[in-house]
Amino acid sequence: MSAETAHTTRPDMIVCENVDKWFGDFQALKGVTATIAEQEVVVVLGPSGSGKSTWIRCINRLEAHEKGTIVVDGVELTNDLRNIEKIRSEVGMVFQQFNLFPHITVLDNVTLAPKWVRKMPKAEAENKAKELLEMVGIPEQASKYPGQLSGGQQQRVAIARALAMEPRIMLFDEPTSALDPEMIKEVLDVMRDLALGGMTMMVVTHEMGFAREVADRIFFLESGEIVEEGTPEHFFTNPTEDRTKLFLSQIL
Amino acid sequence: MIQETPPQNYHHQKPPFYRDAIVVKWLFQLGALALVVFSLWFLASQARDNLAARDISTGFDFLSVDPGINLSEGIDTRPATGGRALWVGMVNTIRLATAGILAATILGLLVGLARLSNNWVVNKLGSVFVETLRNIPLLVQIILYGAILANLGDLSYDSGWDNWVIWSNKGLSIPRVFIADGFYQWAIFMLIGSVAARWAYKSRQRQHDETGRDTYPWIASLGVLGAFAVIGWFIHPIFGWVGGIFGAIGDGISKIPEEVLQAALSIIAVLLAGNWIRNFLRSRRTPGGSAQLTDDDKFRVIFSGVSAGLVIVVVYVVWPGLSSWMINSSSDLFGVLDDKFGNGRSGGPFGADRPEVIKTGMFEKYGPSGLTMSIGFAAVFFGVVFYTAAFIAEIVRGGILAVPKGQIEAANSLGMKRSAALRTVILPQALRVMMPPLGNQYLNLTKNTSLAIAVGFSDLVQVGQTVGNQTGKNLSVFAIWMLFYLACSLTISVVVNFFNVRLRIVER
Ligand SMILES: Nc1ncnc2c1ncn2[C@@H]1O[C@H](COP(=O)(O)OP(=O)(O)OP(=O)(O)O)[C@@H](O)[C@H]1O
Ligand SMILES: [Mg+2]
Repeated sequence: MSAETAHTTRPDMIVCENVDKWFGDFQALKGVTATIAEQEVVVVLGPSGSGKSTWIRCINRLEAHEKGTIVVDGVELTNDLRNIEKIRSEVGMVFQQFNLFPHITVLDNVTLAPKWVRKMPKAEAENKAKELLEMVGIPEQASKYPGQLSGGQQQRVAIARALAMEPRIMLFDEPTSALDPEMIKEVLDVMRDLALGGMTMMVVTHEMGFAREVADRIFFLESGEIVEEGTPEHFFTNPTEDRTKLFLSQIL
Repeated sequence: MIQETPPQNYHHQKPPFYRDAIVVKWLFQLGALALVVFSLWFLASQARDNLAARDISTGFDFLSVDPGINLSEGIDTRPATGGRALWVGMVNTIRLATAGILAATILGLLVGLARLSNNWVVNKLGSVFVETLRNIPLLVQIILYGAILANLGDLSYDSGWDNWVIWSNKGLSIPRVFIADGFYQWAIFMLIGSVAARWAYKSRQRQHDETGRDTYPWIASLGVLGAFAVIGWFIHPIFGWVGGIFGAIGDGISKIPEEVLQAALSIIAVLLAGNWIRNFLRSRRTPGGSAQLTDDDKFRVIFSGVSAGLVIVVVYVVWPGLSSWMINSSSDLFGVLDDKFGNGRSGGPFGADRPEVIKTGMFEKYGPSGLTMSIGFAAVFFGVVFYTAAFIAEIVRGGILAVPKGQIEAANSLGMKRSAALRTVILPQALRVMMPPLGNQYLNLTKNTSLAIAVGFSDLVQVGQTVGNQTGKNLSVFAIWMLFYLACSLTISVVVNFFNVRLRIVER
């Protein structure tokens, strides 16, 4: 599907308007404005330190923005704790360093939040967790501890853990950057399946193949600003901005 | 799967003995053992010669001789023997250490959390507490607290609140709670109550698992236990018949012939050892076939066999009277139980004696009176508690800060509330980091109670020194001190290690 049709026919899931974010004196986001529709998959590219993580972390308020508005699934992110908890339980996040809970089993990692946040009965949560582990391809690892798994397996558990909350949006912050090359594919495959299944996704990655193939739209960020946005085709074949061209020439 | 045959010829090339790992290992073990034995023998003979030369006597006869001393406080202030006196000191030390560990843990936890608080005032209070108290030497603190407490007013009829709580330069007094007549029958209620409470906990837990609702199993089970405690308080005499059962059992035991018990003990020992060995071998057996036993494993098997043999030797040869002693003492025990649980015990399970001032500066001495925390006890108690709490606070803070930020972010990103994240993600991981240094602090606290000598509190060291001076057996007292503190330390280590193992995170 192309970005334009997705945009016109589906409701907006994430709306950012003139979002500014400072760390002390340093401005990490400068007037970021973007709208992401339901079922859209966007990839965020940019050099290191350009604010990609900061932006994606603002969307489930792991970081608080100072100016502008962010509306997620119709709920504006403010200091209201209830809104924050509601949005967080509808937005799943996958981290570069997995951040699995090392002291409980894989199965418990996946069932923890459904049990504590959604008050889901134990048996139901476990059945669901087993389905999800099946989906990400590691049903046999349920009773192991995270420390006993390979990096690629751990990241797939992290994806299953986020999916267990039945989120409407998934955020990925460089999900494959900490992985060996042969494990990258198994994680990207899971993400591709998710995208095909209609999940709204926002992905920070350096995997250009994934961006080209799966993304509906690409944002290019530099120094906290969106420099260029467009379809993968536009972005990779005839980018308009010089900075984009420079970035692409360096990584391709 | 393809089975590769190992290159046999390499296996059979025996290395020279000094390069053979197994031989070298055993040689080192034996060498170390020999070194230790020789050193001990050398030290002992040196000590014996020197002591003889300087006419210092050793031996432990003084333990059963009247040392002629008075102790400032304890379970017995005029002990009849040296052993009894040391025992009083040990009990005082154990009391002090136990109360200190409990209080220091709670206070340290609170202060540590305060130092993590976002509230500026609370945070700074915590910092001041830690930075002040851990930088003043403990001995100075103990002497200081002792001096402050000694400046409280004289004991009089109107010190404190109406004979419930009294404070004066005699110390702090509260009512003494004691076990009364009906306690044992009430204990039966509590036993049933705890079974019921456990059942309530489990059923609540099951309910939670089935529906996902919060069912508060802990509150439910405590409620059940409390209900049993209250009801049992009033109607416990209905269990008066239980004593009779104990009486009957005691009579039965006293009729068992000695030979039967001897044989039974031997058979049980052999069966236990055999069973253990069988299970052990089974657990070591590889799926492929026979067991691969390491040297350690062999030692364990031999050890359990020898223990069984030892039991038989003890029962029949070393101590033939053992079985008759066991029969007599257990039938006596049941006799006592008969009395404790029996009919006619209808009073309440607990009673309390309030502290009673009989004249200015003096408590009731010969009748029932309250429980007094002496100035000495209080000075050492507050000293070790404040001092250790300052360190524990840092351990708590460090443990929580040691949990990676990503863990909290992951819990947050799943929509978990702060309290839930704390309970299920942060604390379990922080505890793991905190446990070993916490154990060290408990050991330190226990050993630091020996500074009680500075304020004249009758702990083991103070009593031991007095006894040693009276009897001249300083060296023997020294040995008892060392053994006692060693035993305390080992006990604490075992407990802490138990939790350590349970909290350990599985890695590959
Ligand atoms: N907690 C923080 N405190 C201060 N500065 C920060 C903080 N987090 C990020 N920054 C700064 O904000 C800028 C953007 O950081 P961000 O992590 O969003 O970059 P990024 O695009 O994700 O880079 P990378 O590709 O290396 O992950 C960087 O210059 C970084 O130094
Ligand atoms: Mg980043």
